[in-house]
Amino acid sequence: MILENIGLAFAEITNVTTLSLMLIGVAGGLIAGAIPGFTIAMAVVLTLPFTFGMPAPQGLATMVSVLVGGLSGGLMAGILTGIPGTPSSVATTFDGFPMARKGEPGLALGIGVWSSFSGGMISAVLLVTLAPQLARIGLEFNPWDYFMLVMFALTITASLSGRSLTKGLIAGAVGLLARTVGEDEAVGMARLNFGNDALLQGFDFIAVLIGLFAFSQLLRDVRDPENAKKSLAEKGTIHAKIEHRRAIRVILKHWTVVVRSALIGVFTGILPGAGGSIANILAYDQAKKASKHPEKFGTGIAEGIIAPESSNNAVEGGALIVLMALGIPGDVTAAVMLGALLIHDVVPSPTFIAEEPVLAYSIFIAFFLATFMMLGLQSFMLRIFVLVTKIRMYMLAGIILGFCGIGVFAINNVEFDLWTLLWFGILGFVMRQFGFPLVPMILGVVLGNIAELNLARAMAITTDLSPFVTRPWSLFFLIIAVFSAVYPLFQAHRGLRIWTLFYQPAVCVAAAVPLFMMGGIPRPILATLLAGYGLWTLYRRWQGGWNLEALSQPVVSE
Amino acid sequence: MQRLNRDAVIAIVLLMACGIFFWSTFSIRTPDYGQLKPSTWPRVIIAVLALLSTLYLVQSLRHGPAAVDERDKDDGPARAPGLIGWVLYWRNPLWCFGLFFAYLITLPILGSLIGGVLFVFTLMGVLGGWSPRQLMQHAALALISVGGMWCIFTFALGVLLPPGEVFSPF
Repeated sequence: MILENIGLAFAEITNVTTLSLMLIGVAGGLIAGAIPGFTIAMAVVLTLPFTFGMPAPQGLATMVSVLVGGLSGGLMAGILTGIPGTPSSVATTFDGFPMARKGEPGLALGIGVWSSFSGGMISAVLLVTLAPQLARIGLEFNPWDYFMLVMFALTITASLSGRSLTKGLIAGAVGLLARTVGEDEAVGMARLNFGNDALLQGFDFIAVLIGLFAFSQLLRDVRDPENAKKSLAEKGTIHAKIEHRRAIRVILKHWTVVVRSALIGVFTGILPGAGGSIANILAYDQAKKASKHPEKFGTGIAEGIIAPESSNNAVEGGALIVLMALGIPGDVTAAVMLGALLIHDVVPSPTFIAEEPVLAYSIFIAFFLATFMMLGLQSFMLRIFVLVTKIRMYMLAGIILGFCGIGVFAINNVEFDLWTLLWFGILGFVMRQFGFPLVPMILGVVLGNIAELNLARAMAITTDLSPFVTRPWSLFFLIIAVFSAVYPLFQAHRGLRIWTLFYQPAVCVAAAVPLFMMGGIPRPILATLLAGYGLWTLYRRWQGGWNLEALSQPVVSE
Repeated sequence: MQRLNRDAVIAIVLLMACGIFFWSTFSIRTPDYGQLKPSTWPRVIIAVLALLSTLYLVQSLRHGPAAVDERDKDDGPARAPGLIGWVLYWRNPLWCFGLFFAYLITLPILGSLIGGVLFVFTLMGVLGGWSPRQLMQHAALALISVGGMWCIFTFALGVLLPPGEVFSPF
């Protein structure tokens, strides 16, 4: 059955038009990822209007290609200019740029490219194998569980994406509120439209996404008139030829770093709100800790490039696992992918892979193929990258804003969407200036109706609110939502206050309770192990005399 | 404006917005069917938002001016005092918003092709400069980029973009 679906999906993707669009997508993504200030999410968001007229597998394959290209594009700028093209490739510059300056830019690029490829492939394999399994777990979810899953996604995103949890939660709530404007989906009553008929249709969430993310980011990039007139990479670029053979030998020598970093990437991607910007630093930090010569990190060593590049390419595989299995986007790019699916009348849910196997496997195969295309295109795109760096920021901003003015109209063929773009562009810009993170707001907009529909379904079954705490999955998400809300406080006080010594054991013991409640054999075993680990940690800390130094390690942050 | 004042002002604006939205929820009609009233979910969100805004207000008042975060500061030269200083500091984003607003207002007349080309050309001019060389560059870029996108959407994707009163007779 699986092989049959893979075969059908392969036939769907491997036609000249789709493969050509994928090539263009990967090339565009590589360039977008290489341009400092132009994020992958922006590239994927701006690709969306082009896919409206395409069949669903073709449109989604194009978007996946942009995504895969974007994930790898950041390394070119990071290694050659020392300026990370995207936040996902910040750690690549730590060793990539020094290696390039030591006279080995070709090797540095080669290691980066092959690490990206390896991370992407590991992530793609996990995507294909884990997504259907997770979808099976998702079938156990009832409306209470789904509602609480959305609340958990919003809480953890708020706690991870900003410096202030309060601001993150406010942003998430504003996003949820924005989604309630217009006719409600359950009973069709007009809400919060202040008598304005245009608002009855609500804000199209793609227009909101483009406004909040792309529009506001561009305005930030051109804020300083002098910077706006500068070329994208003033430091100039080094002409280099990628050394594939040497790079492959280096990668094979450090295969453990590749696998570990890719797994870190996939796990980070699965976690809502934690994207490539966290994964690359986390993987770099872990590679340094595991290394026999940590003092060499930062001087231009191979492991310092392998770790971040393997992990940041693996992140999207993780995010897609959750999106395709549960219908919950973990980050902005996954949210845009959700938008693309909705445009094609496909609603991701635990039954998505079973009901739409060809489409689901088309996405998997597109992920695989795009990773290979990325490998083949890197050498060619390096030459284009040299040309792109000569473009001035204000020109790029002008062209993209012009594109927004046309592309957003194409979503529903209504002018109101363009006004939505403008107002949310202004709102996003103001929020960025005042230090409010945008990711929780975007997830709030995307997940708002999912939360409300599930709440309505839960209320339709019973008006009793106790299932939110008596159903195991709902309780599980509630517990980890509460602990994720406390996490920023824990980070700020770890190693300073006694209570932080109890945080980790408390998480383990509390999360074990709903796992016990789920019944069966594996989950209670997992719960026992989890609770045992928590209690053992507590015992060790008690034996150590509640020594706070055990927790005072440096914290990896964005 | 100091951080203390700024954060407190934002919190107060948020609380006022919560009040307006909450008041607006009373005009939402309730049907005879369905357990969850259409006004319930917005009210829950507004209540949470109001609670968070109050917390934000308390935090901003407690932390005082010392809470100014260096990472929140923008790059580039410092801002001159007064309204003119503010306008000069933010002139590029203001131009972008203003010109996009003008593009939307004139869209029914100019249409997306002419309006788009004019928007991109004018925006590049005000952000980059008006030297003869730049004028040529900007005109070419505006024509190629907007014209290219218009062609893709119109001919390849079959999207009917607003033709505008100027363009429609042709």
